[in-house]
Amino acid sequence: MIEALWIVILVLLSLGLVSVFIRLARGPYLPDRVIALDLISVIAMGFIVVYAVRFNQPAFLDVAIILAIISFLGTVAFAYYLEKRI
Amino acid sequence: MTLRELIVMGLMLTGAFFMFLAGIGILRMPDLFLRMSATTKVATLGVGTILLAVTLYFNDLVTTFHAVATILFIFISAPVGAHMIGRAAYFTGVPLWKGTLVNDLSGHYDPQTHQLESVSIPGLEAHMPDLRVCKVRISETSPAAGKTLAQIELRKTYGFTVLAVNRGSLVISNPDGDVRLFADDDLILIGPPELRDDLAALFGSTGEDVGEG
Repeated sequence: MIEALWIVILVLLSLGLVSVFIRLARGPYLPDRVIALDLISVIAMGFIVVYAVRFNQPAFLDVAIILAIISFLGTVAFAYYLEKRI
Repeated sequence: MTLRELIVMGLMLTGAFFMFLAGIGILRMPDLFLRMSATTKVATLGVGTILLAVTLYFNDLVTTFHAVATILFIFISAPVGAHMIGRAAYFTGVPLWKGTLVNDLSGHYDPQTHQLESVSIPGLEAHMPDLRVCKVRISETSPAAGKTLAQIELRKTYGFTVLAVNRGSLVISNPDGDVRLFADDDLILIGPPELRDDLAALFGSTGEDVGEG
């Protein structure tokens, strides 16, 4: 029962990740790709946190918070230079 | 399976489902600005729910603090990042969905300086130095609310001419006498600035300057 639930959770996250990758590949504009990258990092955080519970490792949460900080800085930098470019 | 495990699994399942919805949203929404609502709102809620499950599962102070700090950081950073990328996208000319009805920012941004400005009529002052454009809001108690423009006799009594009526996002330019006024409408008027205080009797508020007109 609990194994099946784990599989459902991970499959849902994976399906979300796949659709974001399709948007990342398709674009059509650069800001579309930037928000797709942002969402990929959020879903990756979801994966990390789920694995922290699965393998009983609270240390994984540090990775999640670092990922959140880096992806925020990345989005801000992308937005800043996108606006400067025109 | 204990009750706590059940709640943890339920929260994680909910969070994973929201992440899945965010993925569907970013793939299926018609334009960038609608897609952003999927990435910011739904994904934030999803990761928040999963982190809530973590606090229940580990049930100790340090991990709870970690998870709450992460939730707070995401809740603050996601809107900021979305605002910045949305602003950059608007300036670089990413098109809106063809079904978009209202674009409030259209024509209000200076393309060079990226500053928000109100619309002005350049050089108007030179042609009629004694007149100024002003904006006045019709208050709830105003005697003008519910009457037509012809009935309030604005030009004859006060010396002001109505250029436009703004009602929410609706703009009635060059209105004729049959246009009816309601409370909370904004009137764009042109007239002598020294008589502006007289308008308070009719509208319940005095006019304020609009742009440089």
